[in-house]
Amino acid sequence: MPDWQELVRQRLSGLALDPSEKEEVHVELAAHLEESYEALLKENVPEQAAVSAALFQVTDWQDLQRRICAAKKRGHIMKKRLHQLWIPGFLTMGLSIVFLVTLQKLGFNARIVSWRDSDIFFYAPWLVSLPFLGALGAYISSRAGGSRGTALLASIFPALALTLTFLLMFPIDMIIEPIIGRQADFKIVAAALLKDGIGWMLFPGVALLAGGLLAHVLLSLRPSSRETAIG
Amino acid sequence: MIGSGIKRGTAELAVLSVLHDGPLHGYELARRIEQQTNGALRFTLAALYPMLYRMEQQRWIRGTWETSANGRRRRCYRLTPAGKKKLTPLQREWAELFHALQRLTKVSHA
Repeated sequence: MPDWQELVRQRLSGLALDPSEKEEVHVELAAHLEESYEALLKENVPEQAAVSAALFQVTDWQDLQRRICAAKKRGHIMKKRLHQLWIPGFLTMGLSIVFLVTLQKLGFNARIVSWRDSDIFFYAPWLVSLPFLGALGAYISSRAGGSRGTALLASIFPALALTLTFLLMFPIDMIIEPIIGRQADFKIVAAALLKDGIGWMLFPGVALLAGGLLAHVLLSLRPSSRETAIG
Repeated sequence: MIGSGIKRGTAELAVLSVLHDGPLHGYELARRIEQQTNGALRFTLAALYPMLYRMEQQRWIRGTWETSANGRRRRCYRLTPAGKKKLTPLQREWAELFHALQRLTKVSHA
């Protein structure tokens, strides 16, 4: 009797899955072929013919390999995106909001700095905390196997979300104004906040990115984490 | 003999229907479908497993490893609550399609 597992392993060696998952596919498919072969032997088919007939179930192993990968990875992509981007991103954003509210409650107020006829919103205590939160986001993303780009995206997620929210106010305003029949405040607020974008988005974004970059550099220096950070 | 296009469309329904009767491993599942359809639907290994893995990702079925009496490890598939939910409308859709086709062929023969 042929070694079915070895036979399948040779033919599906390029299966781009985790080693444990790859092994499970090999074992499962080998068991199927073995059972087909045994059923044929029970029908008095000669051994060599039974082997050929069992293997004849797969005419193109490369195509099977590709289709198994596509089927298995469909769910993987969504799961990976959740663990590498959404969870660390939202965690970073949640913590940065909690920090901002806490600092305000503790009486740490923002400073307004004048620069070239403009007032820039400057919240030093909050900005100091952001690199740590950016680093946390990048760390969690990298630990989940996120690539450098994904880890950095997770670290600056709060600044991106804030920018997107402000930008969304314009189309929302355009929809709401004709409905309520009077001028809504969204556009005014958004325009004012965008004008202060340096303080609300650019500085926090840079602080978060600095933390994210630092965490990524530190993680990539560790040999054990280098492999998991690529993906 | 049913054409390959129709077969592909009915494959998920066949798997869900058979698993509705109880859990089965891949080989047994293929055999059961073949027996119950008098050979009209026949799944080779190459056709069966990519579909089972896709259905598992969609959470319609769930595979668990079991060891048989002779020590062979096999993956047993069972229907999930989501799979059971999927089965009823799928059965209805296909029944409607076949009734429509039956009516159509009767009209064109008349």
